[in-house]
Amino acid sequence: MNTPAIEASLDQLVEATRVNRQVYLDPDIFDLEMERIWGKAWIFIGHESQIPLSGDYFTTNIDHKTPVLMVRGKDHKIHVLHNRCAHKGAKIVTARSGKIAGAFRCPYHGWTFKHNGNLLKIPNESGYENTGFDLNDSCNNLQPLAQFDSYRGFVFASLSDQTPDLKTWLGGAIDCFDNLCDRAPEGEVEVAGGVLRYEHDCNWKFIIENLNDTMHPMIVHQSVVQSAEAYISTLDADAAKQKQEAEILLPFGASYENFEDSGITGFPYGHHYDGGKTSIHANYSVMPEYHKAMIDRYGEQRTQGIYAFNTHNTLLYPSLTIKCAIQNIRVIRPVAVNKFIVETWSFRLKGAPDEMLQRTLLYSRLINSSASMVGPDDLEVYRRLQEGLASNSSQWVEMHRQFGRDQQLEDRVTGGGTSDLDVRTQYKAWRHYMLGEAML
Amino acid sequence: MNQSPVETVEEFLYREATYLDQADLESWIQLFTEDGTYWMPAMHEQPDPMNHISHIYDDRVLMEIRKRNFIHPRAPSLQSPVQSSHLIANIREKGTTTIGERIIHSNFHIVMWYREEQRVFAGTYQHHLQSTASGFLIKHKKVQLINPEAAQKSIIIYL
Repeated sequence: MNTPAIEASLDQLVEATRVNRQVYLDPDIFDLEMERIWGKAWIFIGHESQIPLSGDYFTTNIDHKTPVLMVRGKDHKIHVLHNRCAHKGAKIVTARSGKIAGAFRCPYHGWTFKHNGNLLKIPNESGYENTGFDLNDSCNNLQPLAQFDSYRGFVFASLSDQTPDLKTWLGGAIDCFDNLCDRAPEGEVEVAGGVLRYEHDCNWKFIIENLNDTMHPMIVHQSVVQSAEAYISTLDADAAKQKQEAEILLPFGASYENFEDSGITGFPYGHHYDGGKTSIHANYSVMPEYHKAMIDRYGEQRTQGIYAFNTHNTLLYPSLTIKCAIQNIRVIRPVAVNKFIVETWSFRLKGAPDEMLQRTLLYSRLINSSASMVGPDDLEVYRRLQEGLASNSSQWVEMHRQFGRDQQLEDRVTGGGTSDLDVRTQYKAWRHYMLGEAML
Repeated sequence: MNQSPVETVEEFLYREATYLDQADLESWIQLFTEDGTYWMPAMHEQPDPMNHISHIYDDRVLMEIRKRNFIHPRAPSLQSPVQSSHLIANIREKGTTTIGERIIHSNFHIVMWYREEQRVFAGTYQHHLQSTASGFLIKHKKVQLINPEAAQKSIIIYL
């Protein structure tokens, strides 16, 4: 990597209202993003409900290459560890999830490690006597991540010990975790119904810049909306099953005015959501059995308050997006400058009837599946960006919409739902992480 | 009197595959019963399509929407042509469902050309076939990929 040259140019790449195309194209900049953004921010690892019992583990990469595992200790605490043997460096676990039998055991020389990563036993240990090797040195453990913490079951970790604590870092966007969990009559959610993985041949930033780009749905998703309208208009209006699909697909054709009214709220560290008062999910029907469970738990007023916080997409920059009203999340796992994987996980609202999870899964299939009629059209335009930006006819990608009209409040900035406030919020964080600029 | 030749299970499966090779979703949908379903699970041994995520679980409603979307001029992902070639083999009869449909298993290899890239899908089909006066109809088609949990690129036509 030509670091000095890149370093000198970094400051020139992101302006208040435009971004240089190289942030999407240059492999050296990608490497720096991995080091400075993904290597510093809190990255979503998984949910505690994925590892309910002692010894249960879940593995992933925290950036484009660093393997980590999340494991439930004997004391029931969660640990997030580097998935790398302390001996020669072999990856300890390859399964995406599972349960350790007694201890972690490296498949190469058989070193074993406790649930919390501490070294348990080295075969033929006497060979290390009087060699200067210290069995009790913590460097011989599976190494914990520099920081890990969870909020309402959502486990994050950071490769940096300099990042402020998780709650501070989440800021006002923490409301979205609360709202998601409060939508459960028992106040908790759990991962349910498995995962979809979707390979994207493009830069990782395109998807998070598209999340709250409300100027695109009526264009990119026009075909599926019109196709659904055309077919549904031939049916009896009271067919309930058809209504649920219509309820999910048709709002993607909502007007500019509707999206403008939903508003966008930005926070430090690049987080933001659109909606809050209204969103494209605002007019979903409420299932009577679910509603009753909510009223029983929270009472009418609080229940209506929970429903009314109606966000569309929340981004916890750079790795996690949440749909509170849908109860699914998408997790960004970067691979290379022009490749990333999106995982879609669904949640069960504890205490809610199965129909709620089934609706979540229907949504994920209809919108987020690689075989849906929505996700592939989004990916197609990201790929067109990746391909089109190779042209040197201009160096810039603009983000001017409603610039200068944002309202700066104490802990957040708010603006119109069709503004580029979401993207500007991300690039403010980008400059913070990449250039060391103050965030607050 | 000449009796019209009766289509065998094999011939029916080949005809279905041909409609998909030709991206003729209009004809393909007509092979399904009105309440027919198409299911591509997202894991091995997935118990049901409702309580676990699937890549696709379509009934007639979604097939009809997909059919219209597939030829819509404004769908960005469909502005690149898609070409598939299905090979079906190892066809075996696996008995009948409780309501008398024939259960047919087969293996498939599909090579697909889309967006300047050739991709391979492989796995097992399960067809539940109703015998009607006019021939077979599909009550249920399950597409079990060998790698249902792998990250997939866009799948823009039924397999």
